[in-house]
Amino acid sequence: MPRMTQATASIRKRHGTTMSVVGPDHPAADAGKTLDVRDLNHTYSVNGKTTQALQDIAFNVSAGRFISIVGPSGCGKSSLLMMLAGLLTPSEGRIAVGGRPLVKPDPTRVGVVFQDASLFPWLTARRNVEFPLFLRGVAKAVRREKAEEALALVGLERFADSLPHELSGGMKQRVSIARGLVQDPPILLMDEPFAALDEQTRITMGDELLRIWEKARKTIVFVTHGLSEAIYLSDEVLVLSGRPGRILDRVAIDLPRPRSLDMMAQPRFADLREAIWHMIKA
Amino acid sequence: MAYDQSVTHVPRGSGASVGISLETKARICRYAIIAAVIVAWEIVPQLGLVPRLFLPSLSSTLAMLMAHSGDFAVQMLVTLQEVGMALVFACGFGILFGLWVGSTLTVRKALLPVVSALFAVPLVVLYPLFTAWFGIGSASKVVFASVYGLLPTVLGTAAGAQTIDRQLTQAARSMGATRLQQILWVTLPASVPTVLASFRLGGALVIVGVVVAEMMMSSAGIGFLLSKYRTQLNSSGVFAAIILILALAIGFDLAVQAIERRWTGGVRNKAARRPADAP
Repeated sequence: MPRMTQATASIRKRHGTTMSVVGPDHPAADAGKTLDVRDLNHTYSVNGKTTQALQDIAFNVSAGRFISIVGPSGCGKSSLLMMLAGLLTPSEGRIAVGGRPLVKPDPTRVGVVFQDASLFPWLTARRNVEFPLFLRGVAKAVRREKAEEALALVGLERFADSLPHELSGGMKQRVSIARGLVQDPPILLMDEPFAALDEQTRITMGDELLRIWEKARKTIVFVTHGLSEAIYLSDEVLVLSGRPGRILDRVAIDLPRPRSLDMMAQPRFADLREAIWHMIKA
Repeated sequence: MAYDQSVTHVPRGSGASVGISLETKARICRYAIIAAVIVAWEIVPQLGLVPRLFLPSLSSTLAMLMAHSGDFAVQMLVTLQEVGMALVFACGFGILFGLWVGSTLTVRKALLPVVSALFAVPLVVLYPLFTAWFGIGSASKVVFASVYGLLPTVLGTAAGAQTIDRQLTQAARSMGATRLQQILWVTLPASVPTVLASFRLGGALVIVGVVVAEMMMSSAGIGFLLSKYRTQLNSSGVFAAIILILALAIGFDLAVQAIERRWTGGVRNKAARRPADAP
């Protein structure tokens, strides 16, 4: 426990200094799209037993990149994503989005897509997408227009009035992506968004996501346990070790874009997959 | 893309019906029981099987109700007002408080055991205190019935709020929802079935609270009337008051059921309404 308080103090100190050095109006043109994680450590205690979940995590993502985080289950990759979303406070370390520290959820800077879509079952697809705007008190007409735009982007404009239980798993996840995009955050975090889908839908959704990503020009951080999925989608794959999660390597994926399914059969794809698999297994 | 759009399942009709459905049989049975009770109520006292003091016939009870309809109406109105006010306090406050308690871990741990313990206390014994504090007019009834209906509403709602999908509140949090916004727009709609169930239970207890309080110490209300007729040994008067109280309780229950149906029915109707151009 004393360790935790110390950590909190150190976060405060860091934030204090960051605020004074890099003000809210950082001059860098595309700074809004950069994600910067430094000296991040996370420990938690259950019943007095302290466990280190993440250790010395430091990385940055430049604007418009698609990066994936992979690692064995329980390595803390989902926790890391929740920290990037401002939903979980790390014991130690600093997370900055667009040069400004992120200490609480801020949907104008970071949008989140959850594993099980997490749509509100009593709201239609459109109202689900409108929800973050509604929370911020955006006028109804504007809300509607933006929600329709976002639904059109994910190809679901015809299903705006459907309730979540009328939609298939893939469609729900697309509504969830639209909801993440509707406030136009520069960064979209995705926590194993396709894990619950069947193989065929997952592949379709991957292509769909790449199409949306290219059109919306977002930075995407994608957590997955599927190595093929990570390689197929990303510019770069961040490989975490088992608990405590440390960054083993950042693997640049040099496959050309646009990606196509037959790339999965290419030797380069197999090599990358093999290399990452060995890292995780070791 | 075309692949996963075709998987919207639409419920068909309520299944093939061969002969009379179970639902219809149950309904016939239900009406038969009610009819039998009504007939027995009329015939048994008429035949002299039960003294009329213990059970006046249905017709004499209804005649009593008609003869004094003005008085019954005035007293019923008093009771209705008290029930209405107590419902607002007990259920309105009880639901909001229950949602807050249920969705906040520390508050839940601190307060829920206290509320549960209070629930076990027979609050009726406190009623004389309430009359001392608030007089024997409407105020003491409203306060007593509010407290009486509050606890089960809080407990039921808290239990409902506690079991909602945590992913939903987390999603709302990621969209920057404040604590109040989470409770109003996520926890409340997500726990509607339990909220309505506890409203039904709390409301029934509010009616019990008002009537019991009126019967014990008061100057008006349907419970007061019942008590008065009892001391006068006017059985048909007592039964007429009982009929009105039953009507009040059943009316409330039907109203809540209608709200419940509207909520779930709304969801079901939308499910049946397939998007026009879906495959």
